[in-house]
Amino acid sequence: MTATMPPPDAPEAPTNRPPSMHRVRNWIRRPYARWVMVLTVVIGFLLLPLCWLLLAAMNQTGAPASEIMQDIETTVFVFTIVSIPITAFVFAVLVYSLLGWKHVSGDEVPADESPAIRGNVIGATLWTVVSSLLAMFLVVWGLVELAQITANSYGTISADEQPGGKDALIVNVTGQQWVWTFEYPQHDGLTSDVLYLPKDRAVYFNVTSKDVIHNFWAVELGVKIDANPGAITQTGVTPNKAGTFNVRCAELCGLHHAYMETQIQVLEKDSFDSWVRESGGGRTS
Amino acid sequence: MSTATTTVRGVEQVTQPPQHGKPGGIMRHLNLGTGLLTGIVFAVGAGWIVAALTPSSATTPTFAPAGPEYVYLAGLIGWVIGFMLGMGAFIGPLRWMMGRDLTHDDAEYMAGKDLGVKRYIKFTTDHKVVGVQYLVVTLVIFGFGGTLAMLIRTELGVTWSEVFSPEFYNSLIGTHGIAMIIAMIIAVSGPLGNFIVPMMIGARDMAYPRLNALSLWLLVAAAVCLISSMFVGGMQDGWSAYQPLGSQAPPGMLGYQLTIIVFAISTAIASVNLMTTILTMRAKGMTWSRTPIFVYGIFASSLMGLYAFPFYQYSQILALTDRVWGTVFFNPLYGGSVWLYENLFWLLGHPEVYVIIIPTAAVTLELMPVFLRKPLFSYNFAIAGIVGVVALSGLVWAHHMYMTGWAPAVNYPFMLSTEMISIPVGFLVLVAIGTFWRGTVWTRLPLMAVYALVFNKMIGGVTGIYLSDVPADQYFHGSMFVVAHFHYMLMGAGLFGAMGGIAFYFPKMTGRILDERIGSIGLWTAFVGFQLTFGSMFVAGLQGMPRRVLQFDEQFNISNWISTIGAYIIGLGMLIFLAAIIFSWTSGVRASGNPWGSKSLEWQTAQPVPLENFEVLPVVTERPYNYGVPDPYDEELAAEDGDRVEKVGAS
Repeated sequence: MTATMPPPDAPEAPTNRPPSMHRVRNWIRRPYARWVMVLTVVIGFLLLPLCWLLLAAMNQTGAPASEIMQDIETTVFVFTIVSIPITAFVFAVLVYSLLGWKHVSGDEVPADESPAIRGNVIGATLWTVVSSLLAMFLVVWGLVELAQITANSYGTISADEQPGGKDALIVNVTGQQWVWTFEYPQHDGLTSDVLYLPKDRAVYFNVTSKDVIHNFWAVELGVKIDANPGAITQTGVTPNKAGTFNVRCAELCGLHHAYMETQIQVLEKDSFDSWVRESGGGRTS
Repeated sequence: MSTATTTVRGVEQVTQPPQHGKPGGIMRHLNLGTGLLTGIVFAVGAGWIVAALTPSSATTPTFAPAGPEYVYLAGLIGWVIGFMLGMGAFIGPLRWMMGRDLTHDDAEYMAGKDLGVKRYIKFTTDHKVVGVQYLVVTLVIFGFGGTLAMLIRTELGVTWSEVFSPEFYNSLIGTHGIAMIIAMIIAVSGPLGNFIVPMMIGARDMAYPRLNALSLWLLVAAAVCLISSMFVGGMQDGWSAYQPLGSQAPPGMLGYQLTIIVFAISTAIASVNLMTTILTMRAKGMTWSRTPIFVYGIFASSLMGLYAFPFYQYSQILALTDRVWGTVFFNPLYGGSVWLYENLFWLLGHPEVYVIIIPTAAVTLELMPVFLRKPLFSYNFAIAGIVGVVALSGLVWAHHMYMTGWAPAVNYPFMLSTEMISIPVGFLVLVAIGTFWRGTVWTRLPLMAVYALVFNKMIGGVTGIYLSDVPADQYFHGSMFVVAHFHYMLMGAGLFGAMGGIAFYFPKMTGRILDERIGSIGLWTAFVGFQLTFGSMFVAGLQGMPRRVLQFDEQFNISNWISTIGAYIIGLGMLIFLAAIIFSWTSGVRASGNPWGSKSLEWQTAQPVPLENFEVLPVVTERPYNYGVPDPYDEELAAEDGDRVEKVGAS
């Protein structure tokens, strides 16, 4: 170094910049560090479309058809975005390790030339802090969303005790090998093998099974709960989109598990009421 | 030799029991052949007696004809006892009871001294023989489970008709599941845990050599039970065999239940053995901070297996008594609880995932320093990661039960504990990428498997956080998304890591190098097929396709076609890899004792490894993974600002 041209990265003397800061700055100037950062950003942007592609796959048959499903999709979206930076960083290291750092092939044991790095306090601390913060974020997000969804699906409180419970439609869902039966106790015990639901009205499901464990999955509504023999499980939803959706069994229940599916018809209020009348359901609520 | 004392390595030993006849006694006549023969004789005999005792009108508690059930059960029990008897598994205790305890010469005979190839088909106690036997058994079970996987994908790829009956298809998915779970549990801990760990810690054998052989042959007996179940209707309920569905299954269910009962014993024995060996037999100077990370991994895996498998065993014993004797543990008609079964099952089910993942992760971390020629990055973080996973592994099981309605309130804490486990797993990822960092890459097959593993593990890990989250799981539970996720973890990370580990230790185990070219072609073919298969399976899950179905709506066709094509590519890749193993084993390039230039103890042994591994027991004087040179950047930095830079690494 000549005296006339001080190197650009030389610390001015005297300096009170902390040495660790100095080392970080020095580190960022290294070519491989820059390359890994560039790769991280590039891979991150390449992965970014996944946020929407995942939702596009979920929405193929008309989801989201309820606020619950909307919450689920928001969660998927947020989790994807949150995991992209860390995934991109790990992939960037893999890629740079394959392409950037030195290679040796052949059967001869290569000479010991790698730097003997046994640890890095700054790096490890950063990783721990970031990964813990991410995990905390996921937990908090999950707890809040779970509380939200539990509220939207009316938890396990019986229908009468729910706020507005008197207005809600109650459907008793019974799984048996290999059909679903939907009973409407408020409508003279009207039963149906297609799930008819009114739009924009709370629905409570009392789910049980006659034989083995089934799983009542109203796909586009984001409702899923086991149908257990000898127990009644409760959930609920407010469909907010009219249309034809799917019920599938999501728990292996024997030979014809694959065929244990049926339709959901979410109807406007008037259509639902006329369906009830035409099916002999007596009074409408 | 019938003297009362012997001399071992010039040291007069305490009194030996008198030697009767040739060393080994009756063990000289027992091998796999007599085991099979006795097993079949006992099975047929027990079955015949029970058939004679069972009236033809008898029914089981579920009103199935009792005859086939009882005969099959008796046959299975007869098989296990007869096989173990014929192998000579009980000779030690029997001779001890008769006052003719095993002598030193007997023990040496049982360790396979001077037996040549014959020792591989006998009840041999040498840990190296047991390791090789485990490798073969693992490959056989993988072949079995893999074949079933191909059949499953064939059924799902043929979207226009049913290839198999629902009965057969359901038994395929269940048996594939449990076969692969068993294979993955033993894939690393069996071959490498037995063969490598004693050498790695500088011991002459395992702590309990006879228990070591016992665990292996119990596994063989269990595997035969499982395969036999395919011929009596199979177990048609998925590997989880939820009750009360399990009680509807044909007699094949008994095969599954007995497999689990016997396998749990085998696992418990192997776990205790490995843990005792690691705790008590490490070489002088191998303190905990000098113990290789693979040893930690095996210890952690054994520890988790030890507390987790009893739950599984209980669940299957209770289900078995429900089925055969009409107890009602899981029968809701009489006050039993289906949720009790689910809890017992998943108390195994989740630790079991880490029983599989931790050894593969550990063997990966073990081989990375060798091929990158630098120390493990943050050895302490690797240990912290393993300890963290073990600590949390027992507290997360109910995340499999979010949607059961069992206790909605506990979903909150289980979501918390499940998402916390991403932190210690993240430590392991940090250690891996930190070790990659600036390493000179020696492009050998074992290291290539590590790239595959880390890639798959990231995808499996990230998709795991969706499933750990109750709201998202409300959509994904029971869908193909779950199937894709756990295949990314167990196969993508577990199996590819195990392939790397086996390629790494292949020269030590067989004396020959695993063919680099064929092995790599197999590995990468399987990797590409894997991404196709399970990548598109994620899509099917997102679209809303439930798992364990035989037929499905048309909207899932495309992803399933891609998935099936991918599966055949995996199959091809695995066959190529298997061919590499077989050809290299029989006629590969002979390896020196330490072909990778590793510095750890197991590679310092002679090739082939002598019976007692080390002529003189080694003494460990330095930390593991002393590779590499002082970081030139650090020296530059030190020179630049005159700071005292902490000297790290080789000294």
